[in-house]
Formats: sequence, C-alpha cells, structure tokens
Amino acid sequence: MELSLDRLTKHYGSKIAVDCVSAVFQPGVYGLLGANGAGKTTLLRMLCAILEATSGEVFLDGKEVTSMGAAYRDTLGYLPQDFGYYPGYTAMEFLLYISALKGIPNNIARKRAKELLEVVGLENVAGRKIKTFSGGMKQRVGIAQALLNNPGILILDEPTAGLDPKERVRFRNLLSDYAGDKIVILSTHIVSDIEAIADKVLLMKKGKFVLQGTVSELIRKVDGKVWELEVSPEEAREWQAKATVANLRHEGKQIVLRIISDSMPAKKAVLCEAALEDLYLYYFPTEEGVQ
Amino acid sequence: MELFWLEHKKLWQRGSVKISVLLCFVYIVIFGSILSFQWFSFGSSNDHTSAFGNYFDGYSQIRKCQEYSLEYGGSLTDETLQQMVRDYQRIGEAGMEAELEKTDQSIINGWLGTLYPELRDESIYQTMTSYVDTKKLTGFYERRQQAIETFLENSGQTGAEREYLLSMEGKVEKPFRYEWVEGWSQILGSTVAEMGIVIALFLAIVLSGLFAGEWHNNTSSLVLTTKNGWEKIAVAKIFTGLLFALELFAVLSIGSIGAQLFFLGTAGWDMPIQAIKLIAIAPMNMLQAEIYEYAFTLLGAIGFAGIVMLISAAVKNNVQALLLSLAVVYGPMMIDQYLPYGAQMALDLLPFVGSGADIFRTNTFHFFGRIIWSPYLLLVVPALIGVVCMPVAVMRWARRMRA
Repeated sequence: MELSLDRLTKHYGSKIAVDCVSAVFQPGVYGLLGANGAGKTTLLRMLCAILEATSGEVFLDGKEVTSMGAAYRDTLGYLPQDFGYYPGYTAMEFLLYISALKGIPNNIARKRAKELLEVVGLENVAGRKIKTFSGGMKQRVGIAQALLNNPGILILDEPTAGLDPKERVRFRNLLSDYAGDKIVILSTHIVSDIEAIADKVLLMKKGKFVLQGTVSELIRKVDGKVWELEVSPEEAREWQAKATVANLRHEGKQIVLRIISDSMPAKKAVLCEAALEDLYLYYFPTEEGVQ
Repeated sequence: MELFWLEHKKLWQRGSVKISVLLCFVYIVIFGSILSFQWFSFGSSNDHTSAFGNYFDGYSQIRKCQEYSLEYGGSLTDETLQQMVRDYQRIGEAGMEAELEKTDQSIINGWLGTLYPELRDESIYQTMTSYVDTKKLTGFYERRQQAIETFLENSGQTGAEREYLLSMEGKVEKPFRYEWVEGWSQILGSTVAEMGIVIALFLAIVLSGLFAGEWHNNTSSLVLTTKNGWEKIAVAKIFTGLLFALELFAVLSIGSIGAQLFFLGTAGWDMPIQAIKLIAIAPMNMLQAEIYEYAFTLLGAIGFAGIVMLISAAVKNNVQALLLSLAVVYGPMMIDQYLPYGAQMALDLLPFVGSGADIFRTNTFHFFGRIIWSPYLLLVVPALIGVVCMPVAVMRWARRMRA
C-alpha cells in the first residue's frame, strides 16, 4: 500500500494553508509535527478527501483518491481534530452507528465495537451516554471509531489532546500494536508522542514540509546546537528574551537553561544531547504550540 | 435500510424532537380537538366561572344539536329553512335561551346574510335569524345561484372561467342534505385547515437540524470519511425526514379523527360542503372535503419537509436553517396580502402557504389557456416542490463539505 501526495496545495483566498506538498507514505507510523496554523489539519482533511485541494492530487496505489470514492473511504479511519459525537448516544450506540456508516454488517459491528471499547478501556461504560464522559473518555471513543473498519490508512488529527499521561501511554501502545502493515498518520504538536511512536516525522511549517526523516535523523540536525547554561534568576530572564530556551530547571539558587543555538551562547555553556523537542524549537522558535 | 433505521432512531433520540411532537399533539389534539369540542367551542354557555364562558359539557351539547337538526327532515328546502328560523324565533320569544344553543343558528344566520341581504335591518343588533319574516325566505336555490353568479362577476371571473366554475357547481346535488352543520364547520374551517400551520412550525424545528446538525455536533467530517457517508447517509436522512413528517401527521390526524369520532360521530358526513359556505361550487360532501383537507396537509407536510431538508443540507448552522425554513412558510403568509393577486396565487403553491379551505372558494389558475381549479394544484404542487428538493438536498450535502 502506498499513499502519495503530488504537489498538494490549498488556498483560502489569499492565504496559503498547504503549499505544494509532496510525499510518499508506505506502511508505518508518520508523525506530522507543526505549530498551530502550520497546515496540518488542512493537509489531513485533503488526505481524507473531505476537502478539495486547490491543486495537486492524492493517490492510493496509483489511483486518484477522489475518483475512488467509497472504495477509498473504505480503507480509511479518521479521527478529526474536534471530534464530534451525538450527545444522546451511548458509546456502544455511537460505535454501532459509525459502523453502519462504514458499511460493517451489524453482527460483526457489535463484536468489533465491544472489542474496541475494551481496547480503549471503556468496556465498563459502554452503555453510558457520551455526553457524560470526560474529555479523555470522549477522545478514546473517537479513537475506537477510527479503528472500527480495521483501516489500512489511519489518520489521526491531534489524537492525544485531552488524554492524561496514562491514557497517552495506552494510546501509544495501541497504535504501535495496530500499525504493522498499515499507514498511520498522526498530527500533533505534542512532541513526546511523536518521539515515542513515529517511524518517520514530517515537520510542517507555513504549509510546507521543512524536514522529513526518522526521529534519530532529525535529531542529528540539531546535534551541536543544544546547550546547557547555569545562570542566576536575573540572567535567566535576560536569556529567555534573547535566545530560544527549551527548558528551565532550578538547581539551588541557580537556574539551568537549555538553550538552542547555532553557536555556543556563552563561555560557560555546555553542549548536551539533543532531543526532538529541541529540533521543534529550532524550527519554531517564536511560534506557539509546543508542550 | 439499516442506515435509515439508525438515522430515524437518532432523530427520535433528540430531546427537542420528543418535546416538539408532544407540544404539537397537545396543541392540535388536546386543545384544538378534545378541549375545543368539550369546552371552548361546543360547551353550553353562561358559565361565568370559566375563562371561555362555557361549561365542560360539549359531548352532551353536541348530541342535543344533532338530534334537534334531525327534526328538519334531512333535506334543506325553503320550507325547512322557514321552519328552522320560525322555531328559532319561537324559542327566543319564549325566553328559553339555553334551548337556542341546540340550533344551527350561526350557520343559518350566514345563509340568510348571503341570500337575503335585503331583509337585514341595521337598526336591530340581533342576528337576522331572530327577526326576519320567515314568509319571505323563499327561492333558496334560485337566490343561491344568483349569489354565485354575482360573486363570480364581482371577482372578474367571466367567460370560459365562469362557465368552468358554473359547470362544476352544476354537479352539486340539490336540495342539500341537512343535519347539524356547526361541528363540520369547526372541523373543515378550523381544526384541519389550520393544522398545517402548526405542523410547519414543528417540522422546521425538527428537520432543520437533520443535515445542519452534523456541523452543529462536529460530526460532519467524521460521517463524510465513512464508506456510506456521502450519498447513502443523505438518502437515509431524506427518508428519515419523510418518515418523520408522516409520523407527525399520523399522530395528529389519528388523534384529531379519534376525537372527532368520539364527539361528533359520523352524522352529516354526506352533507354537501355548501351547507357551510353556500356559494362554494365544489360538488363535495363533508367526508370528501375532510379527506381533501387531510391530503392537503399530508402532501404539504411532505413538500415542506423536502424544503427544510434542502435548507438544512445547504447551510451549516442549525439556527440559520431553522430561520430560513420558517421564513419559507411564514414569510409569504405575512407579505401575501400586500402583493398583486397573481403573485399571491403563485405563493399559495408553496407548502402550507395556501389553504386547504380553498375547496370553499372559486380561485383558479390559468396554465397555457387551461383553467384549473386552485385546490387541484394546491394539493399537487407543494408535494412536487418537496420531491424536487430532496435529490438536490442529497447533492448539496455531498458538495457542501468539499467547499
């Protein structure tokens, strides 16, 4: 299975949301990393064929996806960024409804819905209305619905938003188990999620892929650019204003800053091991969206 | 099929739907039929403790009226009219006011006003029935014929149109059968005729969210990425909307007809509708007229449901869809009277904008030289509009998302 994007572009009036993006996805987990407004959601919606591209095309195994229609959607599992649900439905009813939309026969759907509710840890509340669920529980229902048809292409837009740390770990494990021979694309600005599960990372900025590669390949891009510097609290404030500070740690009365910089920021600075978050901050030093 | 039932279940799971249907039932069946028969309209008068001035005894009062009307032999002639008016005056003179309530006084007074206007005495505040000279109440059917012709002339309905309407009138059987008319007048002139206006409100409330609600719930992108999310779900939604319109209609009509049968029975079903409005030209009896009005309401509901679903599929906001849907039916009703006659007639073809009570009127449409009595088109065109809207709604739903 191969999903490819050929010069995919989306304009909203004069604003360019996605700018001539090309990529090839083969089975594996892909992390789409970018700040808010980088064009991730727009790109994913075009991948799902629910948003028309201004130009460019998406192909699945050489066939243009919009012309494939239902056959393409049959291979798709999608969790939108703002996952919506029907407030009057229970978790089980909701999954059965989405199963019907996905064309899954009723007897199979019931079994599959039960299994997935167990997988996402909601089996004990299957009969409860979704409107009574916490944000994390709702998100887990969203993840379950995306997996109902055992999709070959799984597209998840901010899947871990609203999940607590334990739920995030459970989700990562679930995704790792699931991936295998499937294409999984997840967008997030939670760097640690990508770092933990993505085989390949695509860094998106202003509608373009600015970097692509495995986590270790990308981290190498900022090798030699991450420094630690011990300063006083007053100096720390100055450094935060003039440099990209990835982290700030108190050690006694002093503060240890983690600074991203092409050159040694100060004589006392010590070079340290880079992480994906450092890469993110290197490319998005002034934009919001990092956690 | 499964999608359709799931969609139908989803619709009924909404609290607003249950409340809407309940309110509609309470308004039409409980207030508009049961309490109206038993209290507001047919309860005997002079209960000064009641907000409506009536006692809660409509059921027995209606029976008295029906029995009393049978005294006039079942046929409306000069003699029976004279006798009815004479009896009314005799009862009034005897001071038996309570007895007057069993007479068909308001109907008879309407006949007198239409056929014998020269007998009206403006200086007397009472109804004509209480003072006209009964000996002068002659030539009922000749006068009626004259009244129709005068009305057509005053309405500018001449030539072929006049001949068309008069030939229709020629099929009305004479002399008219007569039994107690007031009950039928209430049903055909008010209960059924106005049902559509209320149904329109609640159909708009329920169906405006059918498609637009997917955006309201943020579920549209989810639905549209599924195998059946483009056309099949839209078709299921259309059938759900249609079924809901039928269900609402069924609940209201079964309730209303049940109340009607309980309170009025079937007496007088074969009277001509001319007993209610003398110058009506349609050769229809009460039962046929009631069937027509229910059919008008049903087809109007189907037509309006189609329009509401199209609007719902075309906009992404529930409130916007609701307001636009209401504007489609109540907007023309509000501006109708300020428009030229031709425009009024055209607007009447929109679902529920026209009236099922047009069977009592002489309105016509002219199409390519053909004259068509308005109730025919008022029955068919609204449903056709709805049917045309439905596939367009499916297409709009599929297209809307990709904008």
